[in-house]
Amino acid sequence: MAAETPSWAQQAGQVSRLRGRAFEAICLASTSLALVSVMVLLLFVANDAFRPFEAEPALTFAIPVLPGLELFVVPVVLPAYLLVFGATLGLPVALTALYYYRRDDPAGEVAYATLGLPIVSLLVSAGVLVMFIEVLTVSELFATELALLVAVGAIYGHARLRPRKAVERLAIIIVAPVVALAGLPPAMFNDIVNGIAGLAGVGPVLTTRLFSVRELVLASPFLPVRWVMLLATVTLPVVAIFAPILARRRESREAGLALGGLSMIVAALGLVAAPALGVGSDVWIVVASVTVPPLAVYVEGVVRRREGMAGLAFPLVLIGGALAGWLLVQQVGFGMPDPWLDWGFLTNAHSRFSAEKTGIYPPLVGSVMMLFAIVILIFPVGVGAAIYLEEYAPSQGLAGKFVTLIEINIGNLAGVPSVVYGLLGLALFIRFLSMPVGAIIVGALAVGLLILPIVIISAQEAIRAVPDSHREASYGMGATRWQTIRDVVLPQAFPGILTGTILALGRAIGETAPLLMIGMPAIVRRAPDGFFATGSAMPRQIFRWSKEFDPLYRHGVLAAGVVTLLVVLLIMNGTAIILRNKFQREETA
Amino acid sequence: MSSETRDIVTDETNASRTAKEQTYRAIFLACGILSVLTTVAIIATLFSDALTFWSEVPIEDFLLGTNWSPQIEGSYGVLPLVSATLLITFGSAVVALPIGVLTAIYLSEYASDRTRSILKPTLEILAGVPTVVYGFFALVYVTPALGTIFPSISTFNALSASLVVGIMIIPMVSSISEDAMSAVPDSLRQASYGLGATKFEVSTTVVVPAAISGIFSSFILALSRAIGETMIVTIAAGSNARLIDPLDPFSAFLNSVEPMTAAMINIGKSDVDPGSLTYKSLFAIGLTLFAITFVMNVVSNLVAERYREEYE
Repeated sequence: MAAETPSWAQQAGQVSRLRGRAFEAICLASTSLALVSVMVLLLFVANDAFRPFEAEPALTFAIPVLPGLELFVVPVVLPAYLLVFGATLGLPVALTALYYYRRDDPAGEVAYATLGLPIVSLLVSAGVLVMFIEVLTVSELFATELALLVAVGAIYGHARLRPRKAVERLAIIIVAPVVALAGLPPAMFNDIVNGIAGLAGVGPVLTTRLFSVRELVLASPFLPVRWVMLLATVTLPVVAIFAPILARRRESREAGLALGGLSMIVAALGLVAAPALGVGSDVWIVVASVTVPPLAVYVEGVVRRREGMAGLAFPLVLIGGALAGWLLVQQVGFGMPDPWLDWGFLTNAHSRFSAEKTGIYPPLVGSVMMLFAIVILIFPVGVGAAIYLEEYAPSQGLAGKFVTLIEINIGNLAGVPSVVYGLLGLALFIRFLSMPVGAIIVGALAVGLLILPIVIISAQEAIRAVPDSHREASYGMGATRWQTIRDVVLPQAFPGILTGTILALGRAIGETAPLLMIGMPAIVRRAPDGFFATGSAMPRQIFRWSKEFDPLYRHGVLAAGVVTLLVVLLIMNGTAIILRNKFQREETA
Repeated sequence: MSSETRDIVTDETNASRTAKEQTYRAIFLACGILSVLTTVAIIATLFSDALTFWSEVPIEDFLLGTNWSPQIEGSYGVLPLVSATLLITFGSAVVALPIGVLTAIYLSEYASDRTRSILKPTLEILAGVPTVVYGFFALVYVTPALGTIFPSISTFNALSASLVVGIMIIPMVSSISEDAMSAVPDSLRQASYGLGATKFEVSTTVVVPAAISGIFSSFILALSRAIGETMIVTIAAGSNARLIDPLDPFSAFLNSVEPMTAAMINIGKSDVDPGSLTYKSLFAIGLTLFAITFVMNVVSNLVAERYREEYE
């Protein structure tokens, strides 16, 4: 065939092929450009934050890139401890990962999850602990949970005794939690009324009120000892979530009870084991109760399916390797690097005098509290709006126009610059509603409104993905719209909603501009002790450090702060991606 | 437990059942309305303070004034800020638009499924990096690196801010453009292959023109994001409010400038008295910014709707 093709056509073919190749190469280069440049920047930050190459003794050698040219000799410093860890940790981990990749695909995923689950649980338990230490006392939480239990009991009892009175029950659903948690009328309401009366020159008007269950419990002289309360408030609820899952999967109550018992025992072991290890028993109990039940449920699932069981070994390889490396380095006496990002950094406050002693603890607590507040305030509203738009909204007539308006409006809200949300927070919450300047709650509200459209849009997508046939089947069986939503739509859409919400929270934790506008202070020495207290947040602190000209701050402290923020973010996004993958697989399966 | 509740529910009288349904409906509607209220609150707060500001400083002095020095001279000409915003938006567009489109072409036309399944989430993560972190990159790593090329560059400069804003908005351009390109039906590609076109010709003369409305709408959205971008420019571009001379872009890029968002932060974080003119000027800039980004978002939607090629 080549013989018949005229020479000019061949040339044209070659030119166009060359042009095509060049174009593909340019496209690929552009795709990599953004990724590679950010990756390089991340390596720089990690190097600044951890200083892994600054430890003695070290091997120093020069690699000539171009032989004979002095200029192109790259000096390489390889500390000895790195070599040890490379042998005990890096090599085994790389080999195991390679094995999973080549031989046993499901095991790779199992390895990923068994490693990720405890990390996520640890992060959550760290958040819980921080909340304990800074905001609530354990007895307050105990009283609150007991009160909630009473309220739920009242609602459930009413449903059993007077099943036909739906309106009555609605009233109880609203009143019971208020009475149980805040009393009737709530103490704050009395204070406000009495305050107004005091201003008007009248004595206290409201003197008697029905005390809440919470107040009664707190006032009672018979509060149990601290560890019993911790077990009841932290371990029991987690067990109550995970034990039924296990019981349902194995179709046996005993399995659920066994998991519950096991978790309680492991948590209670902390009383003996924690002091021996030098950790507080509170820390042990919280970490154990948040980590053990989900991990046990996951491992049980893997073992039962007998799929990818080799993956369970991965955390052991990792922890064993790290431990072996550490012991070896200690024995031989090799020096370890002194990273900026260490325990001291995570537990100290900003220090004006010493970069080495500076830490990020108060802003870290502030960020955690803001996330809690955002979840409580924004998540229900966002999901509620999505439910309305997808399940209730009329598509015709005047009301239909209004719904279209809401949808367009949500799209536009998502495009409003974040600094404008800061102005909104400043004008609406601080000046108009006279909330305290720079308070955690104001930050949470401003950033929460910022991510509200993102939560709504992702929840809408998740709800839309539930097939209509399921809804119709539910209606066909006589269920009402709300019953269909509660029992059919939401359970199916939940993983999608959760994924979208976590991604939105990831956006929230990095938002800085609104926090600056609502006047969050640059330096906070103590962690905020409540939602209305003034606090800082991690990005706010990072911005403050970026104003320091001292290279110790600029390349050390700042880098450590950035890495802390990025690690939290990475774990959140990783969780979201795992959830999404799991969800999609179940969809296709 | 759930089977018990079902029994209870079927026992309910119709009237109470309807009342309950209506209540839930009302609760969800209220959630939806809250989002509208947010917009109303934004517009109301911006307008109320901006209008009192303009009653003291004439609007033409604000919009056409060429000197921004609120705290020292009390002069409120917004043009220096707008010119700085435009400079940085232009710089970031030069970086992001071509790279974003080429990335989209690669992802939609050239990449294998497996490559795409790795690259797309990675690009998403790029979009999720907080802007304060990007600002830190610009200040601590990019500016010194640029200093080896341009020795006269100042510590705070528009160039590194533009580059990093550009990198930040690449995922936005690429993901929306890629969606538009993937929506181009395969039959069009097959037809042009059948006519003897090469892959390069198909990509550039068939797919890109067919997806042009999506590509343009991604451009507008990304630029609106660049205009509203706050932390990168506040950290890296500085706070020297001066009118940019368009004939001398070199010195404009290498020196410190103050875009609108950076000016807002600089006023907002200094303790200004809530009744003062400077405080109110915050809302005037905010309203200008809101109006610009709002119009751009609406235009982007219109472009995507109006010029979309419909394929069946």
